[in-house]
Amino acid sequence: MRHNFIDRYAALESPLHILEPRSKLLAFTALIVGVLSIPVDRGSLFFVYFFATAVLMGISQIPLPYIMGRSLVILPFIVLASLAVPWKGFYGIGILFVRAILCLILLILLTNTTRFVELMRGLRKLGCPQILVMNLGFLYRYLFVLTEEAMRMKQARDCRRVGRAPFGEELKILSSMLGTLLIRSFERAERMHSAMLSRGYSGHFPVLSPRRFSWHDLVFLSGITLFIVLTVLLR
Amino acid sequence: MHIPDGFLTNRVAVSLDVVSGANILYAARRARVDFSSRMVPIMGVLGAFVFAAQMLNFPILGGTSGHLVGGCLLSVILGPMAGSLTMATVVLAQALFLQDGGLVALGANIFNISVVTCFSGYAIFKLLGGSAEGGRRLLIAGFVAGWFSLIISSSCCALEMALAGAIPLRVGLATMSGYHALVGIVEGMLTAGVLGFLSKVRPDLMKIDGVGRFGVWDWIGAVLFVALPAAVLAKAGSSGLPDPLEKLLAGSPLLVEAGAGSQKLSSSARYGDYLLRAGVFVLLIGSGVLAKRLARRKRSGP
Repeated sequence: MRHNFIDRYAALESPLHILEPRSKLLAFTALIVGVLSIPVDRGSLFFVYFFATAVLMGISQIPLPYIMGRSLVILPFIVLASLAVPWKGFYGIGILFVRAILCLILLILLTNTTRFVELMRGLRKLGCPQILVMNLGFLYRYLFVLTEEAMRMKQARDCRRVGRAPFGEELKILSSMLGTLLIRSFERAERMHSAMLSRGYSGHFPVLSPRRFSWHDLVFLSGITLFIVLTVLLR
Repeated sequence: MHIPDGFLTNRVAVSLDVVSGANILYAARRARVDFSSRMVPIMGVLGAFVFAAQMLNFPILGGTSGHLVGGCLLSVILGPMAGSLTMATVVLAQALFLQDGGLVALGANIFNISVVTCFSGYAIFKLLGGSAEGGRRLLIAGFVAGWFSLIISSSCCALEMALAGAIPLRVGLATMSGYHALVGIVEGMLTAGVLGFLSKVRPDLMKIDGVGRFGVWDWIGAVLFVALPAAVLAKAGSSGLPDPLEKLLAGSPLLVEAGAGSQKLSSSARYGDYLLRAGVFVLLIGSGVLAKRLARRKRSGP
Protein backbone atom coordinates (compact mmCIF):
# COMPACT_ATOMS: atom_id res chain seq x y z
CA MET A 1 0.00 0.00 0.00
CA ARG A 2 1.27 3.44 -0.87
CA HIS A 3 1.84 5.48 2.24
CA ASN A 4 2.68 8.86 0.86
CA PHE A 5 -0.53 9.62 -0.93
CA ILE A 6 -1.35 12.41 1.46
CA ASP A 7 1.63 14.71 1.45
CA ARG A 8 3.67 13.36 -1.35
CA TYR A 9 5.29 16.62 -2.40
CA ALA A 10 5.55 18.25 1.00
CA ALA A 11 9.24 17.46 1.40
CA LEU A 12 10.47 19.41 -1.66
CA GLU A 13 12.60 22.50 -1.16
CA SER A 14 10.93 25.12 -3.33
CA PRO A 15 10.64 28.78 -2.32
CA LEU A 16 7.11 28.03 -1.16
CA HIS A 17 8.19 25.03 0.90
CA ILE A 18 10.80 26.86 2.93
CA LEU A 19 8.35 29.44 4.29
CA GLU A 20 7.34 29.43 7.93
CA PRO A 21 3.98 27.62 8.32
CA ARG A 22 2.22 30.44 10.12
CA SER A 23 2.88 33.01 7.41
CA LYS A 24 1.85 30.50 4.76
CA LEU A 25 -1.42 29.70 6.54
CA LEU A 26 -2.22 33.39 6.92
CA ALA A 27 -1.30 34.31 3.37
CA PHE A 28 -3.29 31.50 1.77
CA THR A 29 -6.31 32.18 3.95
CA ALA A 30 -6.12 35.82 2.89
CA LEU A 31 -5.94 34.81 -0.77
CA ILE A 32 -8.93 32.48 -0.42
CA VAL A 33 -10.95 35.19 1.33
CA GLY A 34 -9.90 37.52 -1.47
CA VAL A 35 -11.20 35.11 -4.12
CA LEU A 36 -14.42 34.63 -2.19
CA SER A 37 -14.97 38.37 -1.97
CA ILE A 38 -14.73 39.01 -5.72
CA PRO A 39 -18.06 40.54 -6.73
CA VAL A 40 -20.08 38.72 -9.37
CA ASP A 41 -19.99 41.60 -11.83
CA ARG A 42 -16.21 41.91 -11.81
CA GLY A 43 -15.30 38.75 -13.66
CA SER A 44 -11.96 40.18 -14.80
CA LEU A 45 -10.65 40.03 -11.25
CA PHE A 46 -10.83 36.25 -11.47
CA PHE A 47 -8.20 36.37 -14.18
CA VAL A 48 -5.94 38.42 -11.92
CA TYR A 49 -6.31 35.87 -9.14
CA PHE A 50 -5.92 33.02 -11.57
CA PHE A 51 -2.66 34.54 -12.75
CA ALA A 52 -1.41 34.83 -9.17
CA THR A 53 -2.40 31.23 -8.46
CA ALA A 54 -0.60 30.07 -11.59
CA VAL A 55 2.54 31.90 -10.48
CA LEU A 56 2.35 30.23 -7.06
CA MET A 57 1.78 26.87 -8.76
CA GLY A 58 4.91 27.43 -10.85
CA ILE A 59 7.00 28.39 -7.85
CA SER A 60 5.82 25.42 -5.81
CA GLN A 61 7.30 22.82 -8.25
CA ILE A 62 4.34 20.51 -7.69
CA PRO A 63 3.44 18.70 -10.94
CA LEU A 64 0.37 20.07 -12.67
CA PRO A 65 -1.33 16.66 -13.27
CA TYR A 66 -1.19 16.00 -9.55
CA ILE A 67 -2.96 19.27 -8.75
CA MET A 68 -5.54 18.63 -11.47
CA GLY A 69 -6.22 15.14 -10.15
CA ARG A 70 -6.66 16.45 -6.66
CA SER A 71 -9.13 19.08 -7.89
CA LEU A 72 -11.57 16.36 -8.91
CA VAL A 73 -12.97 16.13 -5.36
CA ILE A 74 -15.17 19.06 -6.25
CA LEU A 75 -17.10 17.12 -8.94
CA PRO A 76 -20.14 16.08 -6.83
CA PHE A 77 -20.76 19.67 -5.89
CA ILE A 78 -20.52 20.76 -9.50
CA VAL A 79 -23.16 18.19 -10.40
CA LEU A 80 -25.34 19.41 -7.55
CA ALA A 81 -24.90 23.04 -8.57
CA SER A 82 -25.69 22.23 -12.19
CA LEU A 83 -29.18 21.32 -11.04
CA ALA A 84 -29.55 24.95 -10.01
CA VAL A 85 -28.88 26.35 -13.49
CA PRO A 86 -32.57 27.19 -14.11
CA TRP A 87 -32.53 29.42 -11.05
CA LYS A 88 -29.23 31.16 -11.42
CA GLY A 89 -28.37 30.98 -15.12
CA PHE A 90 -25.17 29.72 -16.71
CA TYR A 91 -23.20 32.82 -15.85
CA GLY A 92 -23.93 32.56 -12.14
CA ILE A 93 -23.04 28.88 -11.99
CA GLY A 94 -19.93 29.46 -14.10
CA ILE A 95 -18.73 32.08 -11.62
CA LEU A 96 -19.43 29.60 -8.82
CA PHE A 97 -17.23 26.96 -10.47
CA VAL A 98 -14.35 29.32 -11.12
CA ARG A 99 -14.46 30.58 -7.56
CA ALA A 100 -14.60 27.08 -6.09
CA ILE A 101 -11.78 25.76 -8.29
CA LEU A 102 -9.51 28.70 -7.50
CA CYS A 103 -10.01 28.23 -3.75
CA LEU A 104 -9.43 24.51 -4.08
CA ILE A 105 -6.15 24.95 -5.94
CA LEU A 106 -4.97 27.43 -3.31
CA LEU A 107 -5.81 24.92 -0.57
CA ILE A 108 -3.99 22.14 -2.43
CA LEU A 109 -0.95 24.38 -2.76
CA LEU A 110 -1.02 25.20 0.95
CA THR A 111 -1.26 21.64 2.19
CA ASN A 112 1.14 20.17 -0.32
CA THR A 113 3.94 22.60 0.33
CA THR A 114 3.93 22.19 4.10
CA ARG A 115 5.13 19.18 6.03
CA PHE A 116 2.47 17.92 8.32
CA VAL A 117 4.34 18.53 11.55
CA GLU A 118 4.97 22.08 10.46
CA LEU A 119 1.31 22.58 9.62
CA MET A 120 0.35 21.39 13.08
CA ARG A 121 2.83 23.74 14.69
CA GLY A 122 1.48 26.61 12.61
CA LEU A 123 -2.09 25.83 13.60
CA ARG A 124 -1.12 25.67 17.25
CA LYS A 125 0.74 28.97 17.10
CA LEU A 126 -2.26 30.58 15.45
CA GLY A 127 -4.38 29.71 18.46
CA CYS A 128 -6.00 26.42 17.47
CA PRO A 129 -6.89 24.56 20.72
CA GLN A 130 -4.14 22.17 21.72
CA ILE A 131 -6.48 19.22 22.07
CA LEU A 132 -7.50 19.56 18.43
CA VAL A 133 -3.92 19.83 17.21
CA MET A 134 -2.85 16.81 19.26
CA ASN A 135 -5.76 14.78 18.00
CA LEU A 136 -4.76 15.72 14.49
CA GLY A 137 -1.23 14.54 15.20
CA PHE A 138 -2.38 11.15 16.45
CA LEU A 139 -4.78 10.85 13.56
CA TYR A 140 -2.03 11.49 11.05
CA ARG A 141 0.41 9.09 12.66
CA TYR A 142 -2.03 6.20 13.07
CA LEU A 143 -4.02 6.72 9.93
CA PHE A 144 -1.73 4.48 7.92
CA VAL A 145 -1.51 1.80 10.58
CA LEU A 146 -5.27 1.52 10.96
CA THR A 147 -5.95 1.79 7.24
CA GLU A 148 -3.56 -1.06 6.66
CA GLU A 149 -5.33 -3.06 9.35
CA ALA A 150 -8.66 -2.35 7.69
CA MET A 151 -7.31 -3.41 4.30
CA ARG A 152 -6.00 -6.66 5.78
CA MET A 153 -9.38 -7.40 7.31
CA LYS A 154 -11.07 -6.68 4.01
CA GLN A 155 -8.69 -9.00 2.21
CA ALA A 156 -9.36 -11.73 4.73
CA ARG A 157 -13.09 -11.33 4.28
CA ASP A 158 -12.82 -11.40 0.50
CA CYS A 159 -10.67 -14.55 0.66
CA ARG A 160 -13.17 -16.41 2.82
CA ARG A 161 -16.33 -15.92 0.89
CA VAL A 162 -17.33 -16.68 -2.65
CA GLY A 163 -19.75 -14.36 -4.36
CA ARG A 164 -21.91 -12.10 -2.32
CA ALA A 165 -23.94 -12.81 0.80
CA PRO A 166 -27.47 -11.45 1.24
CA PHE A 167 -27.73 -7.78 2.20
CA GLY A 168 -28.44 -8.34 5.89
CA GLU A 169 -25.69 -10.91 6.25
CA GLU A 170 -23.26 -8.60 4.49
CA LEU A 171 -24.10 -5.77 6.90
CA LYS A 172 -23.67 -8.07 9.88
CA ILE A 173 -20.23 -9.14 8.71
CA LEU A 174 -19.22 -5.56 8.09
CA SER A 175 -20.39 -4.34 11.49
CA SER A 176 -18.45 -7.11 13.21
CA MET A 177 -15.38 -6.09 11.24
CA LEU A 178 -15.88 -2.48 12.23
CA GLY A 179 -16.37 -3.48 15.84
CA THR A 180 -13.15 -5.49 15.78
CA LEU A 181 -11.33 -2.57 14.21
CA LEU A 182 -12.73 -0.29 16.90
CA ILE A 183 -11.58 -2.58 19.69
CA ARG A 184 -8.14 -2.90 18.16
CA SER A 185 -7.96 0.90 17.89
CA PHE A 186 -8.83 1.23 21.55
CA GLU A 187 -6.26 -1.29 22.60
CA ARG A 188 -3.62 0.30 20.43
CA ALA A 189 -4.37 3.68 21.96
CA GLU A 190 -3.97 2.29 25.47
CA ARG A 191 -0.67 0.60 24.61
CA MET A 192 0.54 3.81 23.01
CA HIS A 193 -0.42 5.79 26.03
CA SER A 194 1.60 3.64 28.41
CA ALA A 195 4.52 3.70 25.97
CA MET A 196 4.34 7.47 25.80
CA LEU A 197 4.14 7.84 29.56
CA SER A 198 7.11 5.59 30.10
CA ARG A 199 9.13 7.75 27.72
CA GLY A 200 8.46 10.91 29.69
CA TYR A 201 5.49 12.31 27.79
CA SER A 202 3.97 15.40 29.39
CA GLY A 203 1.47 16.63 26.87
CA HIS A 204 3.91 18.25 24.48
CA PHE A 205 5.64 17.10 21.30
CA PRO A 206 8.95 18.71 20.38
CA VAL A 207 9.55 19.51 16.68
CA LEU A 208 12.98 18.87 15.21
CA SER A 209 14.48 21.72 13.21
CA PRO A 210 11.36 23.84 12.78
CA ARG A 211 11.27 26.45 10.04
CA ARG A 212 11.86 29.92 11.43
CA PHE A 213 10.48 33.26 10.37
CA SER A 214 13.01 34.74 7.98
CA TRP A 215 13.29 37.36 5.26
CA HIS A 216 11.64 34.93 2.84
CA ASP A 217 8.45 35.15 4.85
CA LEU A 218 8.69 38.91 5.01
CA VAL A 219 8.99 39.14 1.22
CA PHE A 220 6.18 36.62 0.68
CA LEU A 221 3.78 38.20 3.14
CA SER A 222 4.38 41.73 1.86
CA GLY A 223 3.93 40.50 -1.72
CA ILE A 224 0.58 38.88 -0.89
CA THR A 225 -0.57 41.93 1.07
CA LEU A 226 0.41 44.23 -1.81
CA PHE A 227 -1.46 41.99 -4.25
CA ILE A 228 -4.66 41.98 -2.20
CA VAL A 229 -4.54 45.73 -1.58
CA LEU A 230 -3.99 46.33 -5.31
CA THR A 231 -6.94 44.16 -6.31
CA VAL A 232 -9.15 46.03 -3.86
CA LEU A 233 -7.96 49.41 -5.14
CA LEU A 234 -8.17 48.50 -8.83
CA ARG A 235 -11.53 46.80 -8.76
CA MET B 1 -21.31 16.48 2.13
CA HIS B 2 -18.13 18.52 2.57
CA ILE B 3 -18.84 22.01 1.26
CA PRO B 4 -15.95 23.42 -0.77
CA ASP B 5 -14.94 27.08 -0.64
CA GLY B 6 -16.85 29.32 -2.99
CA PHE B 7 -20.30 27.85 -2.45
CA LEU B 8 -21.03 29.81 0.71
CA THR B 9 -21.02 33.58 0.98
CA ASN B 10 -18.45 35.06 3.32
CA ARG B 11 -21.09 35.99 5.82
CA VAL B 12 -22.55 32.50 6.15
CA ALA B 13 -19.14 30.83 6.14
CA VAL B 14 -17.48 33.13 8.63
CA SER B 15 -20.41 33.13 11.04
CA LEU B 16 -20.37 29.33 11.03
CA ASP B 17 -16.60 29.46 11.58
CA VAL B 18 -17.30 31.47 14.72
CA VAL B 19 -20.06 29.09 15.84
CA SER B 20 -17.92 26.00 15.34
CA GLY B 21 -14.89 27.61 16.92
CA ALA B 22 -16.94 28.45 19.98
CA ASN B 23 -18.31 24.93 20.06
CA ILE B 24 -14.86 23.38 19.88
CA LEU B 25 -13.59 25.60 22.68
CA TYR B 26 -16.63 24.73 24.76
CA ALA B 27 -16.33 21.01 24.09
CA ALA B 28 -12.60 21.09 24.85
CA ARG B 29 -13.40 22.76 28.14
CA ARG B 30 -16.26 20.47 29.04
CA ALA B 31 -14.41 17.33 28.07
CA ARG B 32 -11.74 18.51 30.53
CA VAL B 33 -9.13 16.37 28.94
CA ASP B 34 -5.90 16.43 30.84
CA PHE B 35 -3.11 16.35 28.29
CA SER B 36 -1.45 13.40 29.91
CA SER B 37 -4.65 11.41 30.29
CA ARG B 38 -5.32 8.37 28.21
CA MET B 39 -8.25 10.12 26.51
CA VAL B 40 -5.82 12.03 24.29
CA PRO B 41 -4.51 9.03 22.34
CA ILE B 42 -7.93 7.38 22.42
CA MET B 43 -9.57 10.35 20.75
CA GLY B 44 -6.79 10.67 18.20
CA VAL B 45 -6.71 7.00 17.32
CA LEU B 46 -10.49 6.87 17.04
CA GLY B 47 -10.21 9.73 14.57
CA ALA B 48 -7.90 7.53 12.53
CA PHE B 49 -10.41 4.71 13.03
CA VAL B 50 -13.10 6.79 11.30
CA PHE B 51 -10.76 7.27 8.35
CA ALA B 52 -9.92 3.58 8.21
CA ALA B 53 -13.54 2.51 8.67
CA GLN B 54 -14.45 4.45 5.58
CA MET B 55 -12.13 2.18 3.60
CA LEU B 56 -14.29 -0.79 4.57
CA ASN B 57 -17.14 -0.35 2.17
CA PHE B 58 -19.51 -2.92 0.87
CA PRO B 59 -21.44 -3.06 -2.38
CA ILE B 60 -25.11 -1.98 -2.42
CA LEU B 61 -26.73 -1.85 -5.83
CA GLY B 62 -25.03 -1.41 -9.15
CA GLY B 63 -21.62 0.16 -8.74
CA THR B 64 -22.37 2.12 -5.59
CA SER B 65 -21.08 1.20 -2.18
CA GLY B 66 -21.83 2.25 1.36
CA HIS B 67 -19.66 2.90 4.36
CA LEU B 68 -19.85 4.15 7.92
CA VAL B 69 -19.73 7.90 8.57
CA GLY B 70 -19.31 7.40 12.27
CA GLY B 71 -20.27 10.64 14.04
CA CYS B 72 -23.17 9.11 15.89
CA LEU B 73 -21.20 5.99 16.81
CA LEU B 74 -18.34 8.03 18.27
CA SER B 75 -20.62 10.30 20.25
CA VAL B 76 -22.43 7.32 21.76
CA ILE B 77 -19.16 5.67 22.76
CA LEU B 78 -17.14 8.71 23.83
CA GLY B 79 -19.92 11.05 24.88
CA PRO B 80 -20.97 14.05 22.79
CA MET B 81 -18.16 16.36 23.91
CA ALA B 82 -15.21 14.13 23.18
CA GLY B 83 -17.07 12.65 20.21
CA SER B 84 -17.64 15.99 18.56
CA LEU B 85 -14.03 16.99 19.19
CA THR B 86 -12.86 13.80 17.51
CA MET B 87 -15.15 14.31 14.55
CA ALA B 88 -13.99 17.94 14.27
CA THR B 89 -10.44 16.62 14.00
CA VAL B 90 -11.54 14.23 11.28
CA VAL B 91 -13.15 17.06 9.30
CA LEU B 92 -10.06 19.22 9.74
CA ALA B 93 -7.87 16.36 8.55
CA GLN B 94 -10.09 15.71 5.55
CA ALA B 95 -9.80 19.37 4.58
CA LEU B 96 -6.02 19.40 5.01
CA PHE B 97 -5.11 15.98 3.60
CA LEU B 98 -7.73 15.28 1.00
CA GLN B 99 -8.99 18.80 0.29
CA ASP B 100 -12.50 17.59 1.09
CA GLY B 101 -14.15 20.85 2.03
CA GLY B 102 -12.68 24.32 1.97
CA LEU B 103 -10.64 26.32 4.43
CA VAL B 104 -13.07 29.18 4.99
CA ALA B 105 -15.99 26.74 4.77
CA LEU B 106 -14.34 24.61 7.46
CA GLY B 107 -16.61 26.02 10.13
CA ALA B 108 -19.69 25.05 8.15
CA ASN B 109 -18.36 21.54 7.61
CA ILE B 110 -17.43 21.09 11.26
CA PHE B 111 -20.88 22.35 12.18
CA ASN B 112 -22.68 19.91 9.88
CA ILE B 113 -20.57 16.83 10.29
CA SER B 114 -19.29 17.06 13.82
CA VAL B 115 -21.50 19.32 15.94
CA VAL B 116 -24.92 18.53 14.51
CA THR B 117 -24.30 14.83 13.94
CA CYS B 118 -22.76 14.14 17.33
CA PHE B 119 -25.17 16.12 19.46
CA SER B 120 -28.33 15.10 17.65
CA GLY B 121 -27.21 11.47 17.43
CA TYR B 122 -26.40 11.34 21.12
CA ALA B 123 -29.63 13.07 22.12
CA ILE B 124 -31.77 10.72 20.04
CA PHE B 125 -29.90 7.69 21.35
CA LYS B 126 -30.47 8.76 24.94
CA LEU B 127 -34.08 9.76 24.33
CA LEU B 128 -34.81 6.30 23.00
CA GLY B 129 -33.27 4.90 26.11
CA GLY B 130 -30.35 3.15 24.53
CA SER B 131 -27.98 1.94 27.19
CA ALA B 132 -24.91 -0.18 27.49
CA GLU B 133 -26.91 -3.24 28.49
CA GLY B 134 -27.36 -4.35 24.93
CA GLY B 135 -30.37 -6.16 23.59
CA ARG B 136 -33.03 -5.07 21.18
CA ARG B 137 -33.39 -1.60 22.62
CA LEU B 138 -29.76 -0.73 21.99
CA LEU B 139 -30.03 -1.86 18.39
CA ILE B 140 -33.18 0.14 17.69
CA ALA B 141 -31.84 3.27 19.40
CA GLY B 142 -28.55 2.95 17.49
CA PHE B 143 -30.30 2.55 14.16
CA VAL B 144 -32.67 5.48 14.62
CA ALA B 145 -29.94 7.73 15.99
CA GLY B 146 -27.60 6.91 13.11
CA TRP B 147 -30.27 7.48 10.48
CA PHE B 148 -31.57 10.72 11.94
CA SER B 149 -28.17 12.21 12.62
CA LEU B 150 -27.26 11.83 8.96
CA ILE B 151 -30.55 13.26 7.71
CA ILE B 152 -30.35 16.25 10.03
CA SER B 153 -26.77 17.05 9.17
CA SER B 154 -27.39 16.79 5.43
CA SER B 155 -30.42 19.06 5.65
CA CYS B 156 -28.29 21.54 7.58
CA CYS B 157 -25.86 21.42 4.66
CA ALA B 158 -28.68 22.12 2.19
CA LEU B 159 -29.95 24.91 4.42
CA GLU B 160 -26.57 26.62 4.48
CA MET B 161 -26.22 26.41 0.72
CA ALA B 162 -29.65 27.95 0.37
CA LEU B 163 -28.83 30.70 2.88
CA ALA B 164 -25.77 31.53 0.83
CA GLY B 165 -27.88 31.60 -2.31
CA ALA B 166 -25.80 28.93 -4.06
CA ILE B 167 -28.41 26.22 -4.46
CA PRO B 168 -32.16 26.81 -3.93
CA LEU B 169 -33.51 25.14 -0.80
CA ARG B 170 -35.98 23.00 -2.72
CA VAL B 171 -33.33 21.47 -4.95
CA GLY B 172 -30.78 21.16 -2.18
CA LEU B 173 -33.11 19.59 0.36
CA ALA B 174 -34.59 17.17 -2.13
CA THR B 175 -31.24 15.90 -3.39
CA MET B 176 -29.20 16.00 -0.18
CA SER B 177 -31.82 14.63 2.20
CA GLY B 178 -33.18 12.18 -0.34
CA TYR B 179 -29.74 10.74 -0.97
CA HIS B 180 -28.84 10.65 2.70
CA ALA B 181 -32.15 9.04 3.64
CA LEU B 182 -30.91 6.02 1.67
CA VAL B 183 -27.29 6.20 2.82
CA GLY B 184 -28.59 6.72 6.35
CA ILE B 185 -30.13 3.24 6.39
CA VAL B 186 -26.67 1.74 6.01
CA GLU B 187 -25.27 4.19 8.57
CA GLY B 188 -28.01 3.31 11.05
CA MET B 189 -27.61 -0.44 10.59
CA LEU B 190 -23.83 -0.22 10.93
CA THR B 191 -24.08 1.99 14.02
CA ALA B 192 -26.50 -0.47 15.59
CA GLY B 193 -24.40 -3.44 14.51
CA VAL B 194 -21.15 -2.06 15.90
CA LEU B 195 -22.83 -1.06 19.17
CA GLY B 196 -24.37 -4.50 19.47
CA PHE B 197 -21.04 -6.17 18.75
CA LEU B 198 -19.26 -3.96 21.26
CA SER B 199 -21.80 -4.59 24.01
CA LYS B 200 -21.31 -8.32 23.54
CA VAL B 201 -17.52 -8.40 23.23
CA ARG B 202 -16.20 -5.52 25.30
CA PRO B 203 -19.03 -4.00 27.33
CA ASP B 204 -16.50 -2.09 29.42
CA LEU B 205 -15.64 0.13 26.45
CA MET B 206 -19.24 1.31 26.23
CA LYS B 207 -18.96 3.03 29.59
CA ILE B 208 -16.13 5.36 28.65
CA ASP B 209 -18.75 8.11 28.26
CA GLY B 210 -17.70 9.49 31.66
CA VAL B 211 -15.92 12.39 30.03
CA GLY B 212 -17.94 15.57 30.46
CA ARG B 213 -21.35 14.87 31.91
CA PHE B 214 -24.33 15.75 29.76
CA GLY B 215 -26.13 18.45 31.74
CA VAL B 216 -29.46 20.22 31.36
CA TRP B 217 -28.02 22.93 29.12
CA ASP B 218 -26.45 20.40 26.86
CA TRP B 219 -29.84 18.76 26.51
CA ILE B 220 -31.43 22.06 25.57
CA GLY B 221 -28.67 22.73 23.05
CA ALA B 222 -28.94 19.28 21.54
CA VAL B 223 -32.71 19.51 21.25
CA LEU B 224 -32.33 22.88 19.53
CA PHE B 225 -29.89 21.37 17.06
CA VAL B 226 -32.41 18.66 16.32
CA ALA B 227 -35.56 20.75 16.42
CA LEU B 228 -34.48 23.68 14.31
CA PRO B 229 -33.61 21.83 11.10
CA ALA B 230 -36.52 19.47 11.70
CA ALA B 231 -38.94 22.41 11.88
CA VAL B 232 -37.58 23.93 8.69
CA LEU B 233 -37.76 20.52 7.04
CA ALA B 234 -41.35 19.99 8.12
CA LYS B 235 -42.32 23.40 6.88
CA ALA B 236 -40.60 22.89 3.57
CA GLY B 237 -42.36 19.59 3.19
CA SER B 238 -45.83 20.81 4.12
CA SER B 239 -46.05 24.12 2.31
CA GLY B 240 -43.86 23.24 -0.67
CA LEU B 241 -44.33 26.44 -2.63
CA PRO B 242 -43.48 29.15 -1.90
CA ASP B 243 -40.12 28.55 -0.35
CA PRO B 244 -40.52 28.94 3.42
CA LEU B 245 -36.96 30.13 3.66
CA GLU B 246 -37.78 33.21 1.62
CA LYS B 247 -40.36 34.20 4.17
CA LEU B 248 -37.87 33.58 6.94
CA LEU B 249 -35.28 35.67 5.16
CA ALA B 250 -37.65 38.53 4.50
CA GLY B 251 -38.55 38.67 8.17
CA SER B 252 -35.05 38.63 9.59
CA PRO B 253 -32.82 41.67 9.05
CA LEU B 254 -29.71 39.57 9.74
CA LEU B 255 -30.24 37.33 6.78
CA VAL B 256 -31.48 39.67 4.06
CA GLU B 257 -28.31 39.16 2.08
CA ALA B 258 -29.38 35.99 0.35
CA GLY B 259 -33.05 36.86 0.34
CA ALA B 260 -32.58 39.99 -1.67
CA GLY B 261 -30.73 38.08 -4.38
CA SER B 262 -26.99 37.72 -4.49
CA GLN B 263 -26.72 39.71 -7.74
CA LYS B 264 -27.52 43.01 -6.12
CA LEU B 265 -25.67 42.61 -2.88
CA SER B 266 -22.43 41.21 -4.14
CA SER B 267 -21.94 44.08 -6.57
CA SER B 268 -18.55 45.69 -6.55
CA ALA B 269 -19.64 48.44 -4.20
CA ARG B 270 -19.87 45.76 -1.53
CA TYR B 271 -16.44 44.31 -2.16
CA GLY B 272 -14.56 46.46 0.29
CA ASP B 273 -17.39 46.07 2.72
CA TYR B 274 -17.13 42.29 2.51
CA LEU B 275 -13.40 42.29 3.07
CA LEU B 276 -13.82 44.69 5.96
CA ARG B 277 -16.43 42.49 7.56
CA ALA B 278 -14.32 39.37 7.19
CA GLY B 279 -11.40 41.32 8.62
CA VAL B 280 -13.42 42.40 11.63
CA PHE B 281 -14.42 38.80 12.29
CA VAL B 282 -10.82 37.65 12.07
CA LEU B 283 -9.74 40.44 14.41
CA LEU B 284 -12.47 39.49 16.86
CA ILE B 285 -11.42 35.86 16.91
CA GLY B 286 -7.77 36.86 17.17
CA SER B 287 -8.36 39.17 20.09
CA GLY B 288 -10.43 36.53 21.82
CA VAL B 289 -7.65 34.00 21.48
CA LEU B 290 -5.08 36.56 22.62
CA ALA B 291 -7.13 37.53 25.66
CA LYS B 292 -7.56 33.91 26.60
CA ARG B 293 -3.88 33.25 26.26
CA LEU B 294 -2.95 36.28 28.33
CA ALA B 295 -5.40 35.23 31.02
CA ARG B 296 -3.94 31.75 31.08
CA ARG B 297 -0.40 33.11 31.33
CA LYS B 298 -1.38 35.30 34.22
CA ARG B 299 -3.02 32.42 36.02
CA SER B 300 -0.14 30.02 35.53
CA GLY B 301 2.46 32.70 36.37
CA PRO B 302 4.03 33.12 39.80
